[in-house]
Amino acid sequence: MVTKLGVIFLNISLLLSVMPAWAHHSFAAEFDVNKVLKLRGTVTKMDWVNPHVWVHLDVKNADGSVVGWMIECGSPNALLRRGFNKSSLPVGTELFIEAFQAKDGTNLGNAQNVTLADGKKIFLGSSDDGAAPSPGK
Amino acid sequence: MDHMGKPLKILNGAIAVAATMAFSSLLTDPGLAQTLSSAYKAPRLPGTANPNLNGLWEAVNEANWDIQVHGAQAGPPQFGALLAQPPGPGIVEGNEIPYQPWALAKKKENFENRLVRVKYDELRLLPLDPEAKCYLPGIPRATYMPLPFQITQGNKKIIIAYEFANASRIVPLEKVGPAPVDSYMGWSEGHWEGDTLVIDVTGFNDKTWFDRAGNFHSDALHVVERYTPTSPGVLRYEATIEDSKVFTRPWKMSFPLYRRLDKDAQFMEFNCVPFSEELIYGHLRKTTSK
Amino acid sequence: MSERILAVNTPLIVVALLVCLPAAAQDRTASKAAAPSAVKASAAKKWLTPWGDPDLQGSWSNTAWTPLERPAKYKGRELMTPQERAEEEKRRVQQERVAFYDPSWSDGRTSLIYDPPDGLKPPLTPEAQRRQIGWNESLRSEPPGPINGPEDLNLRTRCIIRDPLPRIPANYVNNYEIVQGPGFVSIFQESTHETRVIPLDGRPHLDPRVRQWFGDSRGHWEGDTLVVDVTNFNNRTRFEGSTENMHLVERWKRVADDRIDYRFTVSDPATWTKPWSAAIAWNKSGPVYEYACHEDNIDMYAILSVARAADRKAGEAAKKSK
Repeated sequence: MVTKLGVIFLNISLLLSVMPAWAHHSFAAEFDVNKVLKLRGTVTKMDWVNPHVWVHLDVKNADGSVVGWMIECGSPNALLRRGFNKSSLPVGTELFIEAFQAKDGTNLGNAQNVTLADGKKIFLGSSDDGAAPSPGK
Repeated sequence: MDHMGKPLKILNGAIAVAATMAFSSLLTDPGLAQTLSSAYKAPRLPGTANPNLNGLWEAVNEANWDIQVHGAQAGPPQFGALLAQPPGPGIVEGNEIPYQPWALAKKKENFENRLVRVKYDELRLLPLDPEAKCYLPGIPRATYMPLPFQITQGNKKIIIAYEFANASRIVPLEKVGPAPVDSYMGWSEGHWEGDTLVIDVTGFNDKTWFDRAGNFHSDALHVVERYTPTSPGVLRYEATIEDSKVFTRPWKMSFPLYRRLDKDAQFMEFNCVPFSEELIYGHLRKTTSK
Repeated sequence: MSERILAVNTPLIVVALLVCLPAAAQDRTASKAAAPSAVKASAAKKWLTPWGDPDLQGSWSNTAWTPLERPAKYKGRELMTPQERAEEEKRRVQQERVAFYDPSWSDGRTSLIYDPPDGLKPPLTPEAQRRQIGWNESLRSEPPGPINGPEDLNLRTRCIIRDPLPRIPANYVNNYEIVQGPGFVSIFQESTHETRVIPLDGRPHLDPRVRQWFGDSRGHWEGDTLVVDVTNFNNRTRFEGSTENMHLVERWKRVADDRIDYRFTVSDPATWTKPWSAAIAWNKSGPVYEYACHEDNIDMYAILSVARAADRKAGEAAKKSK
């Protein structure tokens, strides 16, 4: 299908030290870059929608209670072209997610790093809403 | 007849011409033509064996209010007759939609609450009617919304662009495999059966309605559409609806589509997203404090 | 040739294949260097529809990492050296956190703009300079003030329009489907499910009282080139700070099985002192998908909810301080 063989690149994320190109779509009006969540949970649902995919996670707290979280990822149209689809993260998949929390303290986060149980990082798209790329200086 | 003179000859000639013309027009009368010979043969898409469906089309019926036969009904009182429901003969063959019992109850609930705001989750308080929210209308509803749509028919693919919310879909005229993802407008695959364009649509999500009356479906919806030219400027549209989660059997709708012949008719923009914002975000608007 | 996506059951894990980029990229990308004047169609080959029009049909993408304007470090030069190109690609891949990179995205030019030859937009008129104050809702900018309602956010966030014309490629979702019929060319733009229906019969433009988000398009053929004239923009899209009277002329010409040479010229005497032009290649791509944006735009609810929570907090604090 792809006529040119692309370079498939795993992002060994340097993200938090890089001034984010993704800091748009009124990001600052929604998420707090100072509130970094580290969540370990299992996938309960994937909202495979535009403009952003939302992964629903059940996170078990230390006291055994389970809390539901919604984590924002990238655009499904971009992910589809990289071979991901709705079934790529089946219900029950264990994930470790680093995310910026919503500013109003609700159980919403913006995914920065997504790692599987075996430590492999997966790229679920940046929350950059895909607008024009930024030129170098 | 020579002895009758010139005026009568002219009259005879005129009668003969008139008779010929009358006879010819009988032959082109669509009803008679169908009886006498094969069905209407539309002009071809040049270079292909298929009829040319290119152009701006529109349904003329009240199905968008309610696809079944229905009488007039009051609308929200503050809008008087503007949003009152007009009567319509319906487009459902047999006028029955074979809902499973649970689904019939849900359809009634949809109808009662179509403009009432319902809590979807912690963030969203929305009316049920997807049209009011300017959501993509889905198939077959897009076909009978009271707005035109443009068929651009190529030799390998067709684009159908609907004015409502600029909903569009691409219909490849070849096998496309299963839908990679669910969508509002479905995943279409087209082919020709004689002069009928057949479009097989799968891969729907469950977020659209068939009309404003709350007739609905699940993500198991499967639609097979047929577009057949029946006379210049008219297509017969048929859609077979199948959804094993909601209906007890397949059912069918059909109605004519008319070519827009107004001199300046063209595909125009109806981006209703800004018009729907107050309805869907209004509960999150800042209210001035006392 | 299949334009279909990969099979649904592709492996979950993206494997890191670190290919030596500069060497591989050089061979591939040298042939893609799209100095606008240099690309020539093979003289013998013509792409025609069955009714004899030039055939632009297919699924295309105009992803390009070439910036619109020439960065200062490349002043006076239309092309990058292979070394500069490799460095630029590396920087971009890191910065944009891209997990997949296609060499066709980088054609070695220093800017999409080719006229003026310095690769920069012409100067603004004095009127435009006065006008460029305050928040522009058509850009991806953060709102300047309090978010009381949806109208305080930009047009992209609201999913009203994300990619007005002329379309400068974004990081992704730069996909189009072109289908032609006798007398029409339709271009489906994936972001966000807009179809431009372009009549070719020479009819006049819409009445100037009608303004549209995507303007009003009229096309005709000049040899093998589709020329489209676009007017009737509204005063919200403000491409690069222009007004509703911006006049756009676009040209599409197929130069290979898998490539279209696309270029545009914009003019707006109220904004720029002269017209300017840019070229962006359209490359053959996989199928186009639905992009339903407004329907599941959770961010809007979240942003407004955050703003109301902040209001409540401020309200409580004010009460306490009384």
